[in-house]
Amino acid sequence: MEKVIEKWTGKIAELSIGSVSSEGGSRSKVIKIGGETTLPFLHFEGQMPNPPLVAAEVCDTPPEHWPFIIEEFKNFINDTLRWAKKCEEWGADLLCLKLDSCHPDGKNNSVEYAGELVSKVLKTVSLPLIVIGCNHPEKDQEILPKVAEMTKGEKILLGMATKDNYKTITAAALANDHSVIAETPLDINLAKQLNILISDMGLPVERIVMHHTTGGLGYGFEYCYSIMERCRLAGLTGDKVVATPIINMIAEETWKIKEAKASKDEQPTWGELHSRAVGWEVTCAAGYLQAGSDILVLVHPESIKIIKQTIKQLMTGVRP
Amino acid sequence: MHTVKILPDDIEIKVKDNTDLLSAITDAGIYINSDCGGNGTCGKCKVIIKNGYVLSCQTNVTDDLVIEIPYSSRIEEIHALIDTAEQTQESVFAYQPLAKKVHLKLVQPSLENNIPDYERLKSKLEEKLSISNLKIGLSLLKALPHFLRKVEWDFTASLVESDGGYEFVQFEPGDRSKDIYGIALDIGTTTVVAYLVNLDSGKVHCAEATYNQQISLGQDVITRIMYSTEKKGLKKLSQMICNTINDLIAALVEKSGISQNDILAVQSAGNTTMIHLFLGINPEYIRKEPYIPVVNFPPVINAEELNIKINPRGTISCLPGVASYLGGDITAGVLASGMDRVEKASLLVDLGTNGEIVLGNSDWLVGCSCSAGPAFEGVGIKCGISAIDGAIQSIKIDNGEVTVSTINNKKPKGICGSGLIDIPAELLRNSIIDRSGKFRKESVKSNRLRKNEDDEYEFVIVSDKDSHIVITESDIATLLRSKGAVFLGMQVLLQEMKLKFEDIDRIYISGGFGTALDIGKAILIGLLPDLPDEKFSFIGNSSVAGAKICLLSKSAREKAKEIVGKMTYIDLSTNPKFMNEYTSTLFLPHTDIELFPTVKRKLGI
Repeated sequence: MEKVIEKWTGKIAELSIGSVSSEGGSRSKVIKIGGETTLPFLHFEGQMPNPPLVAAEVCDTPPEHWPFIIEEFKNFINDTLRWAKKCEEWGADLLCLKLDSCHPDGKNNSVEYAGELVSKVLKTVSLPLIVIGCNHPEKDQEILPKVAEMTKGEKILLGMATKDNYKTITAAALANDHSVIAETPLDINLAKQLNILISDMGLPVERIVMHHTTGGLGYGFEYCYSIMERCRLAGLTGDKVVATPIINMIAEETWKIKEAKASKDEQPTWGELHSRAVGWEVTCAAGYLQAGSDILVLVHPESIKIIKQTIKQLMTGVRP
Repeated sequence: MHTVKILPDDIEIKVKDNTDLLSAITDAGIYINSDCGGNGTCGKCKVIIKNGYVLSCQTNVTDDLVIEIPYSSRIEEIHALIDTAEQTQESVFAYQPLAKKVHLKLVQPSLENNIPDYERLKSKLEEKLSISNLKIGLSLLKALPHFLRKVEWDFTASLVESDGGYEFVQFEPGDRSKDIYGIALDIGTTTVVAYLVNLDSGKVHCAEATYNQQISLGQDVITRIMYSTEKKGLKKLSQMICNTINDLIAALVEKSGISQNDILAVQSAGNTTMIHLFLGINPEYIRKEPYIPVVNFPPVINAEELNIKINPRGTISCLPGVASYLGGDITAGVLASGMDRVEKASLLVDLGTNGEIVLGNSDWLVGCSCSAGPAFEGVGIKCGISAIDGAIQSIKIDNGEVTVSTINNKKPKGICGSGLIDIPAELLRNSIIDRSGKFRKESVKSNRLRKNEDDEYEFVIVSDKDSHIVITESDIATLLRSKGAVFLGMQVLLQEMKLKFEDIDRIYISGGFGTALDIGKAILIGLLPDLPDEKFSFIGNSSVAGAKICLLSKSAREKAKEIVGKMTYIDLSTNPKFMNEYTSTLFLPHTDIELFPTVKRKLGI
C-alpha cells in the first residue's frame, strides 16, 4: 500500500540563541530552534532538526499572582540569582528572565537596575538567555535597549516587541546582534503584520520568534491551538513571513488561574493542589507542543522535567 | 428669553433660557459642523465667546450673548456632491416620466355633440396619449365645468402616474406643457442631494445638496434607529428629513424661478433606514435580529400627506430596496451603472456612509453592506468634512513639502473623502507612516509630525492663521478600518461566486467624496483592488443618478424592480471569512502584499 505523505514546500526558519566564548559570548552552548519542514513530530513526513526547548522562567520580583509558586519557591523567591542558578540545575535549556520589577505600577526599577541585573545573571548562569521586559510597552522601550547593550555578543532573545514599541526594540536588537520576540494578540494576520514591520526595519525574519499571546489550558486553548496551527501551516506552505518559530509563555498563563491556586479545602472535588497545579502546567505545555511550539516557558521544576522527557520521547519515538 | 447676536452674520435671535447654543444656531438657519450629534465629543461645533472657544452643543444660553461662528465650524454648500454630468446610460430607457402635462383644445359641446365634460376630456386624452385607466378626484371634477368654459376649452392637464395608469392633478389655462418638473432625490445618511429635472425635456435644471439634518442626532443609521425608539424620536427624525428635503426644494425653486406647483413628482432613493424615517415608518426591526425592514417596495405617496412642498397632489416615489442594509440607493446605483445589462461581471462600490458592494452581470447580482463607516465622507475624522468649498480634495507630499488642492480653490477648511484617500498613500510613500499606519516617530525628522493636546501624534497638513488641518494616528486607523471593510466586502462577494478580481470587467465607484479620486492611491492604500486604471469608472452620486433615470422612465422603474428581484443579499455580519480575515486588511495595502503586485513594485517591498 502506498503511504500518503504530505509534501510541504516551506521550511520554518532556523534560529540560534546564545553565543560561546569563541564567538564573542559567554554561554556554555549555542542552541537552535526551528528548521521544521513538517507539522510537529511527524518524522515520517519531514524534518524536525531541532527539538522544542524548555525555558525556565525567573522573575526579578515575587510574582504576586502565583501564590503556589511563591510558596514552593519561598527559599529563593526574593533572590533572582539563586532562582536562576536553580533553573540551570533543573535542566532547563535556557533561561527566561522577566524584568517585572521595572513596571511603573510596581517597584518602577530603573534602566540601570535592569542592565546591572542582566549582567549579574550572565555571570551566575551559563545558559542562553531570553529577556522579557515588564509588560509595559513604554517602559520596555527604555529598559530593553539597555539590556540589549549589556548583553551584546550573547545573542539573546529580546521581548516583547509589540506593534506599539517594535521600532525601539528592533533597533536595539539590530545594533547588538540579538533576536526579538514579536507579540500580537492571537491573530494570524496581526502576527504576520508585525513580522513584516519588524523585517521592514532590516531585522531578518529569521531572527523573529512569534508570541501569539496564547492562553492557558481551559482558557480558550482550542482557539489558541488553531491560530498556531494555521500560522504553522501558512509557513509550511511557503509564506516566509510567518515561517518563524513560536514561543509559548506557559507559566505565565498557568500559575495565575484558579485551578493552579485553589486549595483542596476550597475545591474538594478538584483533588490535591500540588499535582493538579503541576499537571495543569504540564498538560498545557504538552498541548502547545502539538500545536507547533518551539520554546515552552515553564516555571515548576517538575513540569520542566516531565516536558523535557515528553519532548525526548516525541523526538525519538522511544518510550523510556 | 435671551438675545443671541451671531457674528459675523450680524443676526440676532431670541432664545429660550437654557437652550443649547447648537440648537439655537441651527434654528437661526446657520448650519455648523456636529458629527457627534451634540454629545460633546467631536469638537467640531466650536464658537467664540469673548475671545474663547466653547463647544456650542455643550453651552447653554443663560443670558444675552454675542457669539462668533468661525469659518472652520461652518457647513458650506456641498458642491462636489452635485455632478449633473450625463455619465449614465439613461438613454436606453424609453422616455415616460412619472408626471406629464398635456396641452388640450377640446371641441365645445353642442346639441349634436353632447358628451359630458369629463368624458370629453378623457376621450381626447386617451386618443392623444393612447392611454386608458385615467382617474380623477371629486374636488377636481367639481371645479371642471366652470374651468373649461372660462378657459374656452383651451388648457393644460397635469397627470401623475398612479396604479399603472394616470390621475389628474390640476388644470391650468393655456399651454403650460413645458412647465413641468420633477425632483430626483438621494436621501443619504450624511447628505441629501436633489436635482430639479424638467420632465418635458428630461434635462436637469439645477441641483442642490445639503447635510441631512438628522446628523445632529447621530452619524450612522444604527444611532438614528435607536433614537427613533425614544419618545417622539421617530416623529422628530421624520420631520428633520422632510425639513431637509423641503429646504432643498425651496432652494431649487428660488434658484430656478419656477413655481412650486409645477413640481409634480419626487423620485427618491435612499438606504432602507432613511426611507423608513422619511415615510415615518418605524425602523426598529431593521436593527434587531433577523433584521427585517417593514417594506422594501414602499407605495407611492401623496406629497401633501408627507408635507413635502411640491404640488400638493404630486407624488412621492421611493426606489425599492433589497434588504435592511442594502437599500434603494444601491438599486439606483446598479441601474445607473448599467452593470445589470452586460454579460461580463462588474463590481459596484458605493463609498457612502456604510460602504455597499454589488457584484454581478445580466444574469445575477449579489450585494452586501460592509459597515465601513462614514470615514470617506469625512465623518469621524478630526479634520474631515464633506466635499464642500474649501475641502482638501487632493494632497501630495514630496521631500517633506505638502501641496494641497481644495474644492473651488477656497481656503482649506478640512479634508474630504478623496483627500483622505490620498493622505495614507502619500504618508506611506514618503515613509512617514509604516505599513500598519503608525507614524515612524523615531525616524521622521519633520516639525509637521508632533504630539497634540490629547497626547496623540498628528501630522500637520495645513497650518496658517486661518486654518489648522491635521491627520492624527487614530484618523489613519479609522481610515484603515474603513478601507479594509470595503476591500474585504469585495473579496467575500467574489469568493461566494467563485470569481477572482481578474475576472471583473469593470469596477464602478460611486459616492460623494469629490471628483478628484486618485485610483492609483486608492489601490496603494488597499481600498480598491490592484487592477489596471482603465477598468475603473467613477460614476459620482449614483443614487441620485438612478433616481433621475426612474423619474423619467417607466421602463427604468420596472427595471429597478427587476434588479431587486435578481439581487441576493449576503450578510457579512455572519460571514466567517469576513470575521476571520478582517485584520488582514488593516495594513497598507494589505497583509498579503501578493494581492497588490504593482504596489509591491512601487514601494519596493
